Amino acid sequence: MVPVMPAAAQAGVHDPLLERALRDFDGAAARLSDAIIPQAARRRAAEQLTGLGWPSSRDEHWRYANLRALERIATFAPAPAAADTADVASALELPARLPGFQRLLFIDGVRSGAQVDAAVADRGAWALSAEAAGWAPEQRLGLLGEMFAQDAVVLQITGAAAVEVLFVTSARSSAAVYPRVQLQLAPGSSLTLIERHLGEPAAAPVLVCANVTAELGRGAQLQHYRLQQYGPHVVFNDSLRARLQQQANYRVRQIVIGADSTRTSAEVRLAGRGAALSWQAIAIGRAGQVHDTALKVEHAAPATHVEEVFRGIAEERSRLAFSGHVLIQPGAAGAEARQSLRGLIEGASAEIDLRPRLQIHTDEVSAQHGATTGRLDENLLFYLLSRGIDRRDARALLKWAFLGDVLRAIELPSLREQAERGAAGVLQDVLAVGALP
Amino acid sequence: MSAPGTAAGTARTAGGAPHADALLQVLDLHVKAGEQPVLRGVSLAVGIGEVHAIMGPNGSGKSTLAHVLAGRPGYEIVSGSVRFEGCDLLALAPEARARAGLFLGFQYPVEIPGVNNAYLLKAAVNAARRERGLQELDAFEFLALVRRQMGLMHIDESFLGRGVNEGFSGGEKKRNEILQMLVLEPKLALLDETDSGLDIDALKVVADGVNSLRAPGRAIVLITHYQRLLDYVVPDIVHVLARGRIALSGDRTLALELERRGYDWVADAATA
Repeated sequence: MVPVMPAAAQAGVHDPLLERALRDFDGAAARLSDAIIPQAARRRAAEQLTGLGWPSSRDEHWRYANLRALERIATFAPAPAAADTADVASALELPARLPGFQRLLFIDGVRSGAQVDAAVADRGAWALSAEAAGWAPEQRLGLLGEMFAQDAVVLQITGAAAVEVLFVTSARSSAAVYPRVQLQLAPGSSLTLIERHLGEPAAAPVLVCANVTAELGRGAQLQHYRLQQYGPHVVFNDSLRARLQQQANYRVRQIVIGADSTRTSAEVRLAGRGAALSWQAIAIGRAGQVHDTALKVEHAAPATHVEEVFRGIAEERSRLAFSGHVLIQPGAAGAEARQSLRGLIEGASAEIDLRPRLQIHTDEVSAQHGATTGRLDENLLFYLLSRGIDRRDARALLKWAFLGDVLRAIELPSLREQAERGAAGVLQDVLAVGALP
Repeated sequence: MSAPGTAAGTARTAGGAPHADALLQVLDLHVKAGEQPVLRGVSLAVGIGEVHAIMGPNGSGKSTLAHVLAGRPGYEIVSGSVRFEGCDLLALAPEARARAGLFLGFQYPVEIPGVNNAYLLKAAVNAARRERGLQELDAFEFLALVRRQMGLMHIDESFLGRGVNEGFSGGEKKRNEILQMLVLEPKLALLDETDSGLDIDALKVVADGVNSLRAPGRAIVLITHYQRLLDYVVPDIVHVLARGRIALSGDRTLALELERRGYDWVADAATA
C-alpha cells in the first residue's frame, strides 16, 4: 500500500467532529476491506469531506438536521468484521419473513447467516463511479459511508426479484454501523426491496450511516420499502441516490419511527424520458426525536413524473422536517410534479417544518404542491366525541387516519400489517383502539 | 298581536317551570360565543316520548343550543342549568353525554377520510353498550343491526367500507347521520337542520328514519328553519327561538302559522 499522510493530519481541519471522524478513519483504515471499497477511494472520500467541511446548521440544507446528536456518538469506526453475531442473531426477535422474499441479515454491520441466492446475484461490490461515490454537499455525510463501510449488499437484477435486507443493531455494540446497498437494475427488470433498520436500544449513542445507490435501466421497476425502527440512542444518517433511465419507475415507501434522530438525504435524477418517482413517507416523532428528510428530484428529461407524499406526526417535543426540492430542467417538457406534505403537531413543544420547493426552467409542465401543518382538527374530534368515542381513542383514530394515505400505499399486505403495527406501537393507544384491520 | 306563549291558541308556555318528569330540562340558559351573547335565557322542557320542533330565523341561536347541549367546545356557559334524566348535563364531557343517550345530528357532518363508517359505527355502538352495562356486539351482531337500518335509510352496504362521509353528497351525509342515530338508539336525538339541502325524496327517507325512532321511551328535538320536515315528522310541540330565547311555544299549528306569516312578528312579540 502506498504510504499516505494520515487524513487527520491534513491542514485546515478545524471542526472537532470532522477531526474525530478523520482520526477514527486513520485508526480503522488498515482493517477496512479493500474489496468493498478500495483504499484509494476511501481516502478520496475523506479528502472530499475535509474539503466540504462538516455540515453546520447554519447551512440551509442542514438547518433542521440534528447535527448535535453526532457529538455524542462513541466512535465513527465500525466494529471489526470478525465479530461473532450468531448469539445475537438467535436472541433477536426479527419480523416474520415475508413469503417469496429472500432475506439478508446484518447485525451491527456484520453479515450474518445465509447469502441471497445466485439468481438475485449479490455479486460483491463494484466500485461506484466517481460521480456516484462523490456525494453532493447536502448529502456529504454519505462520505462517511464511503470511508468506513466494510460490507455491502450488491444486487444486480436482470429478471424479477424480491429481497429483504435487515440491518439490526444490538445493545452490545457502540461501534458505528455503515449499511450499504448498491442496486443495478437491468433494462426491463424488476425488484421489490424491503430495507429494514431495526434494533434494541443501544447502550450508548451509536452512529448508523446508510448509503443506498440505485441505477434503474430502461423500463426497470423498483419498489423500495424502507422501514426505520431503530431503538433509542441510534443516530441515523441515510444517504440515497438514484438514477432512472427511460420509462423506469421507482416507488419508495418510507416509514421513519425509530432512532434518536434521522437524517435522510436523497437525490433522484429522472434522466430518461417518461421516468417516474413516487416517494411516500411517514415520520413519527416522540420525546426529543428529530427526523429530517431532504429530497431533491431532478427532472432531466421530457415527460418525467414525480409524486411526493409526506405525513408527519410530531408528539411531545419532537421535531420533523421534510424538504422537497423539485428541479425541472430546460429539456424536461411535459414534466409533472405533485407534492402533498402534511404535518400534524401533537406535542406542546413539537415542531414540524415542511418546505416544498419547485424550481422550473421550462414551460409545459404541470406542477402542484401543498404543504400544511396544524393540530388535530377540533371539528373532527368533536364529531367522534359526539358519537361516544373516548377522547383518547378519538385522537388516536384521527392520527391513524392522517397516516392512511401512505400506509395504504404499501401494497404487500403482510408488510403493510407489520408497518401498521410498527406505527401503531409508537402512536400512543392506537392498538388499544383496535383500528388495525 | 299575540303575546309570547299564547299564540295560535296553544296551551304551552314558552320554556316553562321545572318539570319533574322531563327528560331534558333547560333552565334560563345564557351562553356566549366569544364576547357575543347567543343564548339569553333559554328554558325548555322535553318530556319522555315527545317530539319537539325548534324553529326560528337565522342567527336566533338554534344551532348553538344544539351544540351546547352536545358539549361542543368554544362556548361560554354564563348561567343557567341543563338536566338530562335529572343529571347535570353541562358537567359531562361530550363523549359522556353521547354515552348517556344524547345524540346530535349535525347540520354539516364532517368528512373523516381514513376512518371507515363501519369502524366508527361499531366503536360508537359498543361505547354506548358498555355504558349501559350490556355486552359489546361482535362483528356478526353488529352487521345484522346495521344492515337492518341501512335498508330503511336506502344506504348501500358498500358504504360501510368507505371513509366517514368521504365523498358523500349532502343527502348521503344526512342519511348517514340518521343511520348513526338509528344504530345508537339514543334517548334524546337533537337533529340540527337535518332537512336542509334535501330534495323531497331524501326528505321522506330521513323522515321515515326519524319516525322509526319515535317511541315512548325517547324524545326527539328537531331544529329546523322550515316547516316542511314537520309535514312528515309531526311534532307534539313547536318552539320559536328568537334573539337567544324561546319566544313562543305552541302545537304543530304554530309551524303552519310561521310558514304563513314569517318570523318577524314573533321577534317583535319577543321584544315587546
